[in-house]
Amino acid sequence: MAMRQTPLTCSGHTRPVVDLAFSGITPYGYFLISACKDGKPMLRQGDTGDWIGTFLGHKGAVWGATLNKDATKAATAAADFTAKVWDAVSGDELMTLAHKHIVKTVDFTQDSNCLLTGGQDKLLRIYDLNKPEADPKEISGHTSGIKKALWCSEDKQILSADDKTVRLDPIKSFEAPATINSASLHPEKEFLVAGGEDFKLYKYDYNSGEELESYKGHFGPIHCVRFSPDGELYASGSEDGTLRLWQTVVGKTYGLWKCVLPEEDSGELAKPKISFPETAEEELEEIASENSDSIYSSTPEVKA
Amino acid sequence: MQTPLTTTVPVLRLPRGPDGLSRGFAPDGRRALLKPVVPEIPESQESRESQEQRARAALRERYLRSLLAMVGRQVSFTLHEGVHVTAHFGATDLDVANFYVSQLQTPIGVQAEALLRCSDIISYTFKP
Repeated sequence: MAMRQTPLTCSGHTRPVVDLAFSGITPYGYFLISACKDGKPMLRQGDTGDWIGTFLGHKGAVWGATLNKDATKAATAAADFTAKVWDAVSGDELMTLAHKHIVKTVDFTQDSNCLLTGGQDKLLRIYDLNKPEADPKEISGHTSGIKKALWCSEDKQILSADDKTVRLDPIKSFEAPATINSASLHPEKEFLVAGGEDFKLYKYDYNSGEELESYKGHFGPIHCVRFSPDGELYASGSEDGTLRLWQTVVGKTYGLWKCVLPEEDSGELAKPKISFPETAEEELEEIASENSDSIYSSTPEVKA
Repeated sequence: MQTPLTTTVPVLRLPRGPDGLSRGFAPDGRRALLKPVVPEIPESQESRESQEQRARAALRERYLRSLLAMVGRQVSFTLHEGVHVTAHFGATDLDVANFYVSQLQTPIGVQAEALLRCSDIISYTFKP
């Protein structure tokens, strides 16, 4: 019997969520940071979506946000012409890096010693975080504003994109029904998830290119999609101001999702029976209905 | 085709959102032990007072515990004019104004029971 995906909605932002990033797996689990046009990036526990704290300090929309591998530092890129580095444990601001235009993207190196920034001034900058007063190394070459920049090949190369499509020798390409804004590859390279202008999320088999699943759930275009470091869930940020967590394997017990086997002998619609004592049946119904997308006229398409 | 028997995946609860009051990063959160202990910003008047109060309370508690530890032990008192006496400590009164002692060894003999005025005592010492 197929189970319907129950996305977990993380509320708290008041404007579109434009960027998201997960940390690596730490002894305390993994974490998620979200960049929002309301200027207040938030840190959440990665497997449950629980809010941990909000980084306060930017004076404009935050376009990019990232965490270092062990989630001890966060970096944000904003429309106030600065990139900021934060202590992700205490929430305190560690440094402000002034730029000459809107900053759109930030990325830490694996060892957290350097920060890459890029933005509307068309320059890539590399800051040595051990010497923040020193001038950053600047790399020019882009002819329009930089939208995204990432370290790759063990921090030996930088991959960056501006308004014109940048491709790194395409090995695979996937057809999607609508304009895609963001995609993420599963850590084990089994799946790819993508989301864009039609408010839907699509899941593709990486090897065959077949569309496996698609989900409606957001009320606006999807700006960013990321897989968690363990590949068990993916997060999507939207124009509707919410962040949603989706299971990679629907029905698996993980984080806040609890697998339950319906009664075999019941002929009618089986109501999930949960054994934990503190939750009343009514409470569960409430939770289920809050999460089920009852507003939609059609059900999410699920391809087995 | 939609199967009428599909159920949605049950969840334990919804993700917790911001509390609307603070910026978060709770001191009792999962990673509390990783936080730096000493704040660098200068403290406000209010917190200095409460810090002093906490220090005073801690010292008071230590003193009261030291008195408890003294009960039944041999204590040496240093009084005025270079006088030293020893006795078995019994108790103190509420204001620590007098010490009730027994077997007080004085230069002119042993007193079975006595009250030592604390204002007469310069210092005292004992081994727990």
